[in-house]
Amino acid sequence: MAAQYRGTSTRAPDEAAVTPGPAGAPPGAGAPAPAGPRPSRGGALAGRATPYLLILPALAATVLLLGYPLVRNVIISFQTLDAFQLIQHTTQWAGFDNYKDQLTSAEFWHTTERSIFFTLANVALIMVGGTLIGLLLNRLGKRMRLTLSLGLILAWAMPYVAATTVYQWLFDTQYGVVNWVLWKLGWHSMHDYNWFGSQFSTFAVITLMVVWQSLPFVALNLYGGLTTISTEIFEAAWMDGATPWRTFRSVLFPMLRPFFLGTTFLEIIWVFKAFTQVYALNAGGPEGLTETLPVYAFVEGVGNQHYGTGAAISVLTILILMVLMSYYFRIILKQEDEL
Amino acid sequence: MKRKLIAAIGAATVLTAVAACGGSGGGKSKDNAGGAADYKGKTLNVWLMSGSNPPGWTKDITAAFEKKYPGAKLKITVQQWDGIQQKLTTALSESTPPDVVEVGNTQTPYYAATGGLKDLTSVKSAIGGDDWVPALNGSAVYEGKQFAAPWYFASRVVVYNKKIWSAAGITTTPKTQAELFQDLDKIKAKGTKDAFYLPGQDWYGFDGFLLDAGADLVKKQGDKYVGNLDTPQAASAIELYKKLNSYGTAPKDKDEATPQQSDVFAKGDVGAFLGLGWEASGAITKNPKLKDEVGYFAFPGKTAAKTASVFVGGSNLAITQGSKNPELAQDFLTMAMSDQFEGELAKEGGVVPNKASLDSQLAGNAFGTVSAAAAANGGTTPLIPAWGSVENAPNPITTIFMTGVLQGQSPSEAAKKADTEIDKRLSQQ
Repeated sequence: MAAQYRGTSTRAPDEAAVTPGPAGAPPGAGAPAPAGPRPSRGGALAGRATPYLLILPALAATVLLLGYPLVRNVIISFQTLDAFQLIQHTTQWAGFDNYKDQLTSAEFWHTTERSIFFTLANVALIMVGGTLIGLLLNRLGKRMRLTLSLGLILAWAMPYVAATTVYQWLFDTQYGVVNWVLWKLGWHSMHDYNWFGSQFSTFAVITLMVVWQSLPFVALNLYGGLTTISTEIFEAAWMDGATPWRTFRSVLFPMLRPFFLGTTFLEIIWVFKAFTQVYALNAGGPEGLTETLPVYAFVEGVGNQHYGTGAAISVLTILILMVLMSYYFRIILKQEDEL
Repeated sequence: MKRKLIAAIGAATVLTAVAACGGSGGGKSKDNAGGAADYKGKTLNVWLMSGSNPPGWTKDITAAFEKKYPGAKLKITVQQWDGIQQKLTTALSESTPPDVVEVGNTQTPYYAATGGLKDLTSVKSAIGGDDWVPALNGSAVYEGKQFAAPWYFASRVVVYNKKIWSAAGITTTPKTQAELFQDLDKIKAKGTKDAFYLPGQDWYGFDGFLLDAGADLVKKQGDKYVGNLDTPQAASAIELYKKLNSYGTAPKDKDEATPQQSDVFAKGDVGAFLGLGWEASGAITKNPKLKDEVGYFAFPGKTAAKTASVFVGGSNLAITQGSKNPELAQDFLTMAMSDQFEGELAKEGGVVPNKASLDSQLAGNAFGTVSAAAAANGGTTPLIPAWGSVENAPNPITTIFMTGVLQGQSPSEAAKKADTEIDKRLSQQ
């Protein structure tokens, strides 16, 4: 990833610095971009149609793989769809009942609250940790930087379920290496400690895993951004007697503001929707106390075989995520107007 | 321009987050019965549950089936109990479901009610159902119709390592619970870490203790069922369970399949566990040195007068409503229910067969003899469709009540929470 950014460093620093956000995104997502400023040369129809033809495959894939399931999901959320209806292939409309049940359920709101705090805590840790590692990468010598980058990329490349299994082993009550190390270090009450027995310790393990998985994205992107900034600016700040913190706050942060903004919101989405790690680690247990909204939707929908309820929860999850993202969308829309 | 790009990514990622929670559709299936005589290229898909089909039986019935119906293939797929209900529901809703499925006795009314199983009432005699033991056939009948064939039954008994027990100076198996704990104390005193291995979420084991204490998991209130765990009987049953769990290192928040308790026992340093015949033979396969060391006894009662009540587990075989090979499926069912194969299953697996006339097959099977005798004091869950919802993961009996108490909550406190969830599920059917 970092290599890509080096390629952009010939541009003016401030413009290039804006690019990091898109780098980690799926290819289809960047699709609308080509539709912009390039004027059609001969005015020929074919020429004008080219951009649209180019985005067509991405658009078709999006509609097929995201749009269709989404529409189905919304339709199901207005139905009573249990094992009976599913097996019989009958359609039983429920109106807004599924939504009413959830919006008046204390469990739903508890889960929402839990999801939001979980997201905030994780995103904060990821952004701070990732930024520090990114800054470190910039300062390291060639060899250490390569070693660290390699470690980051391996963490990034690790499949979720495999990572979860490793964490389950690490934190296993009887055979886990974590308990063994803590015991060896003299913390004897940690012998046979059950990490998955309480809400807080389970969340601690999940958070550690989620943060570990996401740090590389922030760190490598930031490093990519940093390579595009001319070192003279930092030298100037240093000459003026700025402390490192002041340099970061007044020089680096403003220059990379779009990067921080974009990455933070991508992380919010990523953590908020994190299902695999949370479910695979302890299935939302103990007693459903680590169920976040996506896990809750799965447990109610698939686990308890009330697919309509699960669909309604997932639609509500999207709406809540939209609300969380509203600040970001507002900025985007404001900037669109100015253009 | 750049901002637009970021906006687009944001929007796309939100959508990705959402699509993960899709439902599943599927076309309506049409019965498409094939010709009876020509079996060429036909494959009969049979789903059996982990632990049900012993290797000898599987080999023999496959050979017999493929010989009798030349050209046809019998494909047996073994499924895990964990999460089976979701998997079975999905399979039954598809246009090409498996042809024959094994359904646990407690879950059969649920699937009979969904309409996913074929009504076998008219062919019951043809399959060989005239002399099925009525008590064992109960779970396969729903609203007076036969939706499955009772296949086998088993109750859990104590499987113990003779070497460890005799090393602790124990010469006879315990006749009362007090004696059992004295024996376990002796074994523990010898330095055995797992005198008794009982994971915290073996609710079949717990249900036996509960039945023995004189209560059920649920009770009827008016015309509906409600949770019944906040009772003195349930409290005493879970206290007994907790005490047994404390005689070993078994996890408090896992069931008997994670890790497979037979694998744990196979290591040879476990005094005893509560298990089934296939678990004992699985341990021996894994560690052949245990061959002559494994013994069985029924879980003792409070007094020596009778052994403790047990949960009688069992399985039925059903033909799916959407099966593309209904005739062949019925042929397979008939073969599996025949004296030859039902008898072989009883003999090899040590399970109680569906006909009294085949009980003699158990004679040479040490587990089967003990298990069949223990089943005389047996019980099961209420045979109502709504029960299936209670077993859906996460099961409140195990995750809320059992683990809750084992990790330090009072029985009443944990029972109230579990009952609330059980009531919710029983009323949703």
